[in-house]
Amino acid sequence: MKNPDAIVIGAGVVGACTALSLVNAGLKVLVIDRGPVASGTTGAGEGNILVSDKEPSAELTLAVRSRDAWFELNTDIGGGFELEPKGGVVVSRSEKGIANLKKLSQLQKSNGIEVVELDAAGLRKIEPLISESVEYAVLYPGDAQCQPMLAAAQIMRAVRKRGGQFIQGENVISINISSGRVIGLKTDKNNYSCPIIINATGTWAGEIANMAGSYLPIMPRRGFILVTSPVPKIVHHKVYDADYVANVASSDADLQSSAVVEGTESGTILIGASRERVGFKSGLDVAVLRQLARQAISLFPILSNMLFLRAYRGFRPYAPDHLPVIGEDANVLGLWHAAGHEGAGIGLSPATGELITALITGNKTFMDPTPFSPKRFKESAHVRI
Amino acid sequence: MSGSDLQFTFDDQIITAKSGQSVGAALLAADVRKLRTTRFDQNPRGVFCGIGVCFDCLVVIDGIASQRACIVEVKPGMKVQTQVGSNA
Amino acid sequence: MHNVVIIGTGPAGLSAALSAAAAGAPVLLLDNNPRLGGQYWRTFTEDTEHEQSQHFDLETGLILINAVKARKEIEVWSGAQIWSASHQQGVNTLRVIYKGVEKIINTKNLVICTGAYDRTLPFPGWDIPGVMTPGGVQSLLKGHGVLAGKKVVVAGSGPFLLPVAAGVIKAGGSVLELLEANKSHRWLLSPLTLLENIAKFKEAFYYIKTISAGKVRARFGQAVVAAHRGDHGELESVDIAVINRNFKVKKIRNVKCDVAAIGWGFTADTSIAGALGCVQVIAKDDGVVVSVDNDQQTSIPGVFAAGEITGIGGSDLSMAEGVIAGLAAAKYVGCDVNVLKVHRKRRAKKQRFADALIKSYPVKAGWKSWLNDQTIICRCEEVDLSDLKHAIEELGATDSRTAKLLTRCGMGLCQGRVCGRSVVDLVASEIKISPTDTDRISAVNRPIISPIPLGVLAAGE
Repeated sequence: MKNPDAIVIGAGVVGACTALSLVNAGLKVLVIDRGPVASGTTGAGEGNILVSDKEPSAELTLAVRSRDAWFELNTDIGGGFELEPKGGVVVSRSEKGIANLKKLSQLQKSNGIEVVELDAAGLRKIEPLISESVEYAVLYPGDAQCQPMLAAAQIMRAVRKRGGQFIQGENVISINISSGRVIGLKTDKNNYSCPIIINATGTWAGEIANMAGSYLPIMPRRGFILVTSPVPKIVHHKVYDADYVANVASSDADLQSSAVVEGTESGTILIGASRERVGFKSGLDVAVLRQLARQAISLFPILSNMLFLRAYRGFRPYAPDHLPVIGEDANVLGLWHAAGHEGAGIGLSPATGELITALITGNKTFMDPTPFSPKRFKESAHVRI
Repeated sequence: MSGSDLQFTFDDQIITAKSGQSVGAALLAADVRKLRTTRFDQNPRGVFCGIGVCFDCLVVIDGIASQRACIVEVKPGMKVQTQVGSNA
Repeated sequence: MHNVVIIGTGPAGLSAALSAAAAGAPVLLLDNNPRLGGQYWRTFTEDTEHEQSQHFDLETGLILINAVKARKEIEVWSGAQIWSASHQQGVNTLRVIYKGVEKIINTKNLVICTGAYDRTLPFPGWDIPGVMTPGGVQSLLKGHGVLAGKKVVVAGSGPFLLPVAAGVIKAGGSVLELLEANKSHRWLLSPLTLLENIAKFKEAFYYIKTISAGKVRARFGQAVVAAHRGDHGELESVDIAVINRNFKVKKIRNVKCDVAAIGWGFTADTSIAGALGCVQVIAKDDGVVVSVDNDQQTSIPGVFAAGEITGIGGSDLSMAEGVIAGLAAAKYVGCDVNVLKVHRKRRAKKQRFADALIKSYPVKAGWKSWLNDQTIICRCEEVDLSDLKHAIEELGATDSRTAKLLTRCGMGLCQGRVCGRSVVDLVASEIKISPTDTDRISAVNRPIISPIPLGVLAAGE
């Protein structure tokens, strides 16, 4: 492609959605990734599309739009990524937890989120195999799930069909800047001229910002997901412990985990979710796997006999305030960031792409994007890993 | 001691096996070759690798699904069932 | 002194255990089978006379098995299933399900002899009940006294087809066809190697005698290229093709049978070594094997490997390697012992024979032309060739790992042990590139070595 209007770095789900949005807006878009499609954090996610795990905030507004955008996108590109409006069920087993969950769900409800309170009997009607210890839950019909790798691949397929180009296997090594403005980038194989670069490299977004002489405080948070062998439909929703919401917002470095259990279209059951701040530490941590297994079994005792088949390890990109970074760089014109979505990247991607596209093309945004602006970070907030 | 006779059931059929044999071997000896049907295409499958590698000979044994017939040793009174999809 | 921990009780593992124990090292011997002997010396009853009819050389195996049982320095855990292995700061941790509970073994010294299993190639109908691996047919005979079927076609490539055909005949079955895909004269590639391994002639003659007595004529340059099911969904017949040197089909005939035992040599099971982080390399047959030095030591000091996982070579080479690995491991834990020249010389001789065999029984690229779009590639997840093509042509997969993740091909219960190797070849062939070593090694990467119940995982410490 000669002289693209915009280059998106990163073919994860955020990069793919952003590229599709830009292509749909009529731009000539080139996507570059050092690896194949979805080879980073996207390939290690559950595919959460959640409205249930966010307090009323700018992020919830983004999540609500994004959830709808996923279904529009599904129709637009012809599906093929197992999008399922399965609904989320949030449970709590402690008095305090139940009180907090009631409070949160009421707040969400007053912000337009559909919530259904469930007593023990109501819960068993929709999740017959849940542990007897669970007596209170809230159903969020708006929660959904997709297969994230397929989603990214299908979206990239649409990008190519609509005139975009995808180059994989090229590693970006520098961002070319002239008078404080992006003029292109260099990979280990080629040079590309382009006035607009979108940094959708997730956990690695800080490196790209550094290359441009700017900064972005994005850090990795390690998460494991257990996968069982295929089983019949025994878990019908995404079922999770209310502690998950607290963990999502936590800045604690230690291991945190709360049970998240869900069935998938292919028959496997996914069990999350752990969060640890250990840098890019590789390898399997058996202690984490055991904790996840225990928590999942405590929610669904029947899982005890199911076979544990594999585990995913992903590095979720997060910013100090746990909000995504969407907008133009604080120091370099033409450099845009779409990163730092932590564990919510799959869910928030289509709306992220819409925001970026509207900002780049000067169109009206569906919400005020200020809370996500990279300009919110002061240099001192930058924590190196 | 391997080799003495014992009985177990496969679905509704009573099958005589020799102790020490695997469930899969005992079923093959009784001319039972279809042990399960697959979860997408409902195709029959049986013993393939015979040594626990391929997981194709899955059966339900005493209520627990996805057991490898080729490596589980048959026991008297065992209740073995055809596995349908990912479970009975 | 530390224990030497040895995994596997086939020819390599037994040899390693005995040589380490003789050198004075206490040995912990782990195996996932209920009885010692591995796949090669698999037995069903204690009745050796009956057992010998299914073995050419059970004597050697029984000698080793009995010697292991007699040595009090060797502690044996049979039926021990290792589900996880990791290496950190010089210590290897094995997590083992033994007698229904999980045990954790931490050791600096390990000998891995996890062997191999049949290499299979996908073809139309290979998922029909009745199509089996030769190893499967043999293990039913050796380990359970059961003949898989009465009318048997034995096909594929490699010398292992001979004992399987002979075993079927000895057990009263009839071998309708014995088909070697390669040409007979390939055997003559290295007569010197054959001469120095004259004992192997005896073994071959033994099988050929049995097979001839069963009035079976081996045919060369032929292969089973499709299987068909009858009304009950079971195997009814196979298509047998005359194939050219590159395995492309020339003409086809149909043969009725109830079992087809089809194998293409062996695939090493390097899962445990790989999980520890031992360097793996690609062997001449394109299989992934564990890289070892002259003392059978892997890239991790103190971790040794012997037998088929260092390269497919048969029981004699496995024993020769096992002896060296056992001695070297004993030396590593401080025993006053050395690997002798005679040990290395014996291994070299067996290695030359193994190399000649690998060269004689290649699997040629033309096998891919036997497939059609509806041919199942991944048996576990029922992924067919068209799904793989879709991932490549439409979804942009340019490597086997991505193709796998987009189709679930190789992500089922067998963890890609059956189809993984073929998928690498198929994807590369669709993209019209050669598979890289990274592709091949990534296809055997299994952090969880075998599936375990979540309850067992949860109960562990």
